[in-house]
Amino acid sequence: MSVSTTDSSTAHPPSSDEAQRIKPPLLPPLLRYILIRIGISLILIWGVTVVTFLMTNLVPTDPVAAILGDRAAADPEIVAATRERLGLDQPLIVQYFTYLSNLLQGDMGVSNQTRTPVLESIGQVFPASIELGIGAILISVIIGLLLGLASALKQNTILDHAIRALSLIGISAPTFWIAAVGYYVFFFKLRVVPGAGRLDPWITPPPRVTGLYTVDSLLAGQMSTFVNAFGHLILPSCVLALFTIGLLTRFSRSSVLDIIRLDYVTAAKAKGLPARTVVFKYIFRGALVPIITVVGLAFGSLLSGAVLTETVFAWNGLGQYAFRGATTLDLPVIMGVGLVIGIVYIIVNFIVDLIYGFVDPRVRVR
Amino acid sequence: MKVRLPRRVLAIGSALALTFSLAACSGGDQGGGDASDTLVAETAFNLKTIDPHRQFEFTGSTIDTAIYQTALEFEDGDLTKPTDGLCSFEMSDDNKKMTLKLKQKDAKFSNGDPVTMDDVVFSFERLKGIKGNPSFFLDGVSIKKVDDETVELTSKKPNPALPYILPNASIGIVNSKVVKENDGTTDEKDGAEAFLNENSQGSGPYKVEKYDADSQVVLTANEHYNGPEPKYKRVVLRNVSAETQLTDIQSGQAQVAYDLNAEQAKQIDDSMGEIASLPSTRSLYIFNNTDEKIGGPAADPNFRKAVMSAIDYDKLTDLAGEGSQRMGSLVPNEFVGAVPKDQAPEQDLDKTKKLLKKAGYDGEKIPFHYSSDQAVNGVDLAQLAETLQAQLKEAGINLALKPAPSSTQLDGFRSAKQPMGIGTWGADYPDPTNYNVFIPGGSVADRVNWKSDPKLEKLAAEAEKAKEGDRDAAYAELYKATTDTAVWIPLVQPVNTVAVGSSINKYVSNADISFDFAKAE
Repeated sequence: MSVSTTDSSTAHPPSSDEAQRIKPPLLPPLLRYILIRIGISLILIWGVTVVTFLMTNLVPTDPVAAILGDRAAADPEIVAATRERLGLDQPLIVQYFTYLSNLLQGDMGVSNQTRTPVLESIGQVFPASIELGIGAILISVIIGLLLGLASALKQNTILDHAIRALSLIGISAPTFWIAAVGYYVFFFKLRVVPGAGRLDPWITPPPRVTGLYTVDSLLAGQMSTFVNAFGHLILPSCVLALFTIGLLTRFSRSSVLDIIRLDYVTAAKAKGLPARTVVFKYIFRGALVPIITVVGLAFGSLLSGAVLTETVFAWNGLGQYAFRGATTLDLPVIMGVGLVIGIVYIIVNFIVDLIYGFVDPRVRVR
Repeated sequence: MKVRLPRRVLAIGSALALTFSLAACSGGDQGGGDASDTLVAETAFNLKTIDPHRQFEFTGSTIDTAIYQTALEFEDGDLTKPTDGLCSFEMSDDNKKMTLKLKQKDAKFSNGDPVTMDDVVFSFERLKGIKGNPSFFLDGVSIKKVDDETVELTSKKPNPALPYILPNASIGIVNSKVVKENDGTTDEKDGAEAFLNENSQGSGPYKVEKYDADSQVVLTANEHYNGPEPKYKRVVLRNVSAETQLTDIQSGQAQVAYDLNAEQAKQIDDSMGEIASLPSTRSLYIFNNTDEKIGGPAADPNFRKAVMSAIDYDKLTDLAGEGSQRMGSLVPNEFVGAVPKDQAPEQDLDKTKKLLKKAGYDGEKIPFHYSSDQAVNGVDLAQLAETLQAQLKEAGINLALKPAPSSTQLDGFRSAKQPMGIGTWGADYPDPTNYNVFIPGGSVADRVNWKSDPKLEKLAAEAEKAKEGDRDAAYAELYKATTDTAVWIPLVQPVNTVAVGSSINKYVSNADISFDFAKAE
């Protein structure tokens, strides 16, 4: 490699005017950072449409068989009419572009089984999963962080060992089993929580505003409905939260242990600040930043991973809708749910990236 | 380091604890609803629509039975004798013409409109014309209104099954005026399905209050129903897994559960409820492909008969639970044309040995297909397949199990490329003609490439000609001969169980309506 030695001698020395006029960036770094993240998110969403479409349509089986009864399936005329009605007689690429163009117009198609628009059904079931997800994430954040903090502060004591063992159980116990046992013990034996479903069957749901029964009942001023909806939320949220509690406990423990050894914590202690201030204002706050990512991803996984919990508790959210779509080969439903969960993950990641961008200026100029 | 929780944290914690304890007490909270006049029934939904002329699934049929009246009925669930419903009926001597006369002249739809013969005609024509799953019920039948009280149904060929077909919930009578106003037609352009899902148009004891194909369907009493007023003004049918149904029945959270298997049913004691066991209208069988290139050994009649005599049928009825039955053919024991149970195949391992020798079978593995995710009336097909594999192995027959999800398996079976496997059939209507599809030339026989059998074709022609009292024997002979070929090996007729909670004192449950919401007290 040759290195020119003439550049500096032959170039004009910068005038003092030019030296001061450092080119300003076209966009402020934060705005540029946000725009890039939006662009990446849009590309990812398009990628999700391709992947869900291909994976769904390459399943080696015929959805028409799942729709038609034995008699109708034996009639070639009905089979051909059904294929045409569903657009399955078109080449795959044409089907994809039809799907994409409909999607851009807010049309996710119609369920092959129930003939209900997929977007409408997702609109119905999504708030149920969101309500469950929020409940689970609140419980897991509060308990997981406190346990992680306690475990780190009492490192290598019996308490630490006990918490670590508990978190391991939370991570490894099968959710379906926990749900079934939880339902049996807390509903059937102890009667401390109400039965399955989002409300007792004889209660009419509150007028729909957000679709979250707890919020809607409060907005409608129906206190007894709120109490009932809240009661129904407790057990499934706790069951669903168990895995995330385990995860957050372990993660926050190691995060706190990293922070606890830093100089500014030692300095704070040396200044004689009260222990409570050191723990909550210095250690805990510092440990929180990396935990945001875990919380964000956990929320996405709660939505997509709630299938079995929703089944045990007859919750009828996105998970159960996806399960029905998969077992009946309802392609528009499978694609719709896949896309929505993909979008949730992308949005959560986008928000996490933004929070990083705001919190840590180094991120946005990279 | 001593750490005390900040006051804010403590305050939030106390508030949460208070709300949790409030909420935990809400189990009995009525929340503005009334529990006493609501019947809660639970099933794992198999629901696509409740438009009567399109529905063809268990859940849709259960709901439509409560919403729609039909021209004919089965009294007290006796499936061998169709009786008058909205209409009375008469069959011509040649079984080609049925005359229906409006009988219940005071019957009214849920909006108060009277039920007329025009509604009956429209309902029949719509079922036939929209080309949905149940349209085949009236294939080859022409419908003619004679006057305001009479309709004639004419079939080109003798159709003795027609009285057994008309009680089906798929042939519910709808309010033609309202359905037509909402895009209902009698051809493929019909667009009333969504309307009928949300706004039922029947004259039965209930009407739809809320329809959600994924979570629950709520019915309310039809104030214009001409029968006795139901005790339960509301019925909530919820989509719940079988495991949760068991706990809900035991705790009183639900009063009816449809999907408990034999083991779960045993866990219900008298204080929690009871089990109504009914013969199901389902048949479980082994299919053998008759095409040598596909079926291999299964195409050889000697091999098939060897399999038939190698099975321990008593163990299969144990597996299917109390109340399940042996089968002499694929026709359920309660139907006209059923082969008596004492003529059902028996285990005879000596016979198996001889037949295998005759077939020249050398122990090669035969792919055996079944739905791994399906339970039929509580019989888990995966468990059934494993049991059969073990039994046949003892007799020297090797099955290579090929499990698949039910939608994939159905696809494979229909493509006629599977050598052997487990098939299931649920009666569309309780008449032996429903099983003609298993005779060469029928659509299911095509799936095992069974193209012809002169003996069976002759017996089928004779059975078709048989008049009322002779039909039973003629069809029994046909289906006994069918079983003897061992193309289909009848395994077991499972039992239909409905768990009924202890809060219900009186109920009607029969093979026609597995639980009658309107008659529960």
